[in-house]
Amino acid sequence: MTDVSDIIQRLRWRFPDVELTEQATADEVPTVWVGVEHVRAVLAAARTECPLETLYDLTAIDERARVHRAGQPASDFTVVYHLLSTTCNHELRLKVALHGEEPTLPSVIDLWAGADWYERELWDMFGITVMGHPRLERILLPSWWEGHPLRKEYAARATERPPFVMNDTVRAAQEQALHFDPATLGWARHTEEFDYMFLNVGPHHPSTHGVFRVVLQLDGQEIHDAVCEIGFHHRGAEKMGERQSWHTYIPYTDRVDYLQGVMNNFPYVLAVERLAGIDVPDRAKVIRILLAELFRVISHLVFLGTFAQDLGMMSPVFYLFTDRERAFEIVESVTGARMHPGFFRIGGVAMDLPGGWEAQVRDFIAYMEKRLGEIESTVLANKIFRLRTEGIGVLVSEVALAWGVTGPMLRASGVPWDLRKARPYGGYEQFDFDVPTGCNGDCFDRAQVHVAEMRQSLRIMAQCLRVMPGGSVKADHPLTTPPPRERMLHDIETLIDHFLNVSWGPVIPAGEASVAVEATKGNNSYYLISDGNTMSYRTRIRTPSFAHLQLVPLLARGLTISDLVAVLGSIDFVLADVDR
Amino acid sequence: MPHLLTTPDAPDPLHRPFLLGRLEELAAWGRRNSLWPFGFGLSCCFVEMATALTSKYDLARFGAEVIRSSPREADVIVIAGTVFAKMAPVVLQLYEQMMAPRWVISMGSCANSGGMYDIYSVVQGVDSFLPVDVYIQGCPPSPDAFMHGIQLLSAAVGAEHRPLSWTIGPQGVYLPAMPVQRDAKREARRAQGELPSPE
Ligand code: SF4
Repeated sequence: MTDVSDIIQRLRWRFPDVELTEQATADEVPTVWVGVEHVRAVLAAARTECPLETLYDLTAIDERARVHRAGQPASDFTVVYHLLSTTCNHELRLKVALHGEEPTLPSVIDLWAGADWYERELWDMFGITVMGHPRLERILLPSWWEGHPLRKEYAARATERPPFVMNDTVRAAQEQALHFDPATLGWARHTEEFDYMFLNVGPHHPSTHGVFRVVLQLDGQEIHDAVCEIGFHHRGAEKMGERQSWHTYIPYTDRVDYLQGVMNNFPYVLAVERLAGIDVPDRAKVIRILLAELFRVISHLVFLGTFAQDLGMMSPVFYLFTDRERAFEIVESVTGARMHPGFFRIGGVAMDLPGGWEAQVRDFIAYMEKRLGEIESTVLANKIFRLRTEGIGVLVSEVALAWGVTGPMLRASGVPWDLRKARPYGGYEQFDFDVPTGCNGDCFDRAQVHVAEMRQSLRIMAQCLRVMPGGSVKADHPLTTPPPRERMLHDIETLIDHFLNVSWGPVIPAGEASVAVEATKGNNSYYLISDGNTMSYRTRIRTPSFAHLQLVPLLARGLTISDLVAVLGSIDFVLADVDR
Repeated sequence: MPHLLTTPDAPDPLHRPFLLGRLEELAAWGRRNSLWPFGFGLSCCFVEMATALTSKYDLARFGAEVIRSSPREADVIVIAGTVFAKMAPVVLQLYEQMMAPRWVISMGSCANSGGMYDIYSVVQGVDSFLPVDVYIQGCPPSPDAFMHGIQLLSAAVGAEHRPLSWTIGPQGVYLPAMPVQRDAKREARRAQGELPSPE
């Protein structure tokens, strides 16, 4: 864990004349405020000297309606830089106060190339102008959109707005938005010898695994440059957090990365518990880990199946989806649902495990262990698979870190960064497992790391089976949801208490907490700000896929179109996780 | 199901003037048993739709496993997932590229009504700009529910009457009524006494 004073102290020494205001947060991440005129200098120093080589997250808060912010500098919009060092395992949150209705901020793209999309998101969602950004356009919403949704005054509901009408104007605007002009990107149409060809892939294309679009600048088969367009899958998950109660937001988290089920609930409930100061009982912890690892296997199976299919192998996807069904049998008997169980609760899990779960889990582990060997010999050892993935889409570790890559993709590049080991959360410190890494950082390594991780997940599940403690599955705390029913029927006081807690939801103490977990695709964190209300004041979801997809142009340059399919398949992204 | 070749008591076909009517049924029978879905997904629901194609569910039993990646070759578009305002014109364009006869299945709460996403970027129901034939409820609907939807559509397609030519016979498309399944199943559901425990 980080020594809070250390990094901030170092910055103080480095910048004796700059005012650095410290802020205490519930998550104990060193948090410091700096004036907008010094932000670039401080960030540059933090990057090279501390060294915090990764821009983990970059977002903003509309502070204009916030009540509980004693001790913080005055601000209308606060921009938050979350920096991370995977080598030294420390982090820093840097906040910048901006004023007025049309705030501006200098760009940091030259420090972290990965800041590109994050800064565009600042513009799109908050209307913060990032000076010096080469292409400050909307990213999640279409170019013809009006307003900035994460501002407090913005009407969030579709039903509060005029109904959606599909008419010629909308279509013409959309057609115009999809129209591609290489000049806007500064792309040449031809060289002296030949003309470039421009190819549009998506938003509907089998290899994009959902709705997003890549435009390629081609020299024959070879990709000279590429640009991605995202936002076709934006469902306002962050804005939704500002109107759902702490409890009723849990199902929305399920749908952020829709392949990893309860894994999405994990960082969210951990962050709320951090704010509320809830300790979760051991049995609930182990149940959470068991299900989270089961979902890791499920998600990785889908990854491998679709990846193999993208490369032209027809049968693996059928085998792997059948294995996934076996896992879903367990999920169904435990939670009653398949893809979106919403099973975690603030303070525990929804209910205890059903009778007979041990046998189900044991059978599954035994079956999958054998099956993974078959997967390796049929998919990973397949000659065509190897030819199409080895040496393709190589990502070296320095680039990966600078762009905020995490998860299997980072480990395939040889960096053994796994939050379950580096900063154990939710009870992982009790479990024994390895962190598989690759050495080449190519598409093949990414596939191999996924398979190796499934083995480790099975290992953790086997340990859950052995150690499953007894006791309650829900903390005994007044802020857990839903509140215990036994306490309700004593007198009018307990009844009122229960009624309020169920209908409005618990009031979580004011504060800020961000908790990250090692999700299936990388580090996924929820940065929650409570203003002492029944709803979150700001919910920020940092997703791995967003950071990863940004790398596509970099990985694709110099490859052929068919290699691009391999690169996209190997990245393991989910569009809902990108656009939220 | 056309009885053209199988009904033993049919009079000599050469003397029957209404052969066209029967051919039309044969075409409908062919259509209902070979619905080719468009391989088009928007969101989480699509994963469950794709699962219906795999071995455990085996959509091929209903002749609907031939996923086409081009709208021009597909018969039915399944709106599987959330319809985003940014995506809606694309969805409409893909639908328009499909050749008639074409059908639309709206899969999942999002496509049906916006579902749990009453939010600025989501269109509140795909039926605001597409003619939907079958709605499948659920979030996401299980693969079984999707297969049920395909079967309902297939039955309706089999009962449709479409002219085989624009010069001969009555024109216009006759579509069968699609009753609400909730009403059709109400009695059976009421009669259900106890729900089995998940254990
Ligand atoms: S209905 Fe549910 S499962 Fe389907 S796309 Fe919408 S949120 Fe996802």
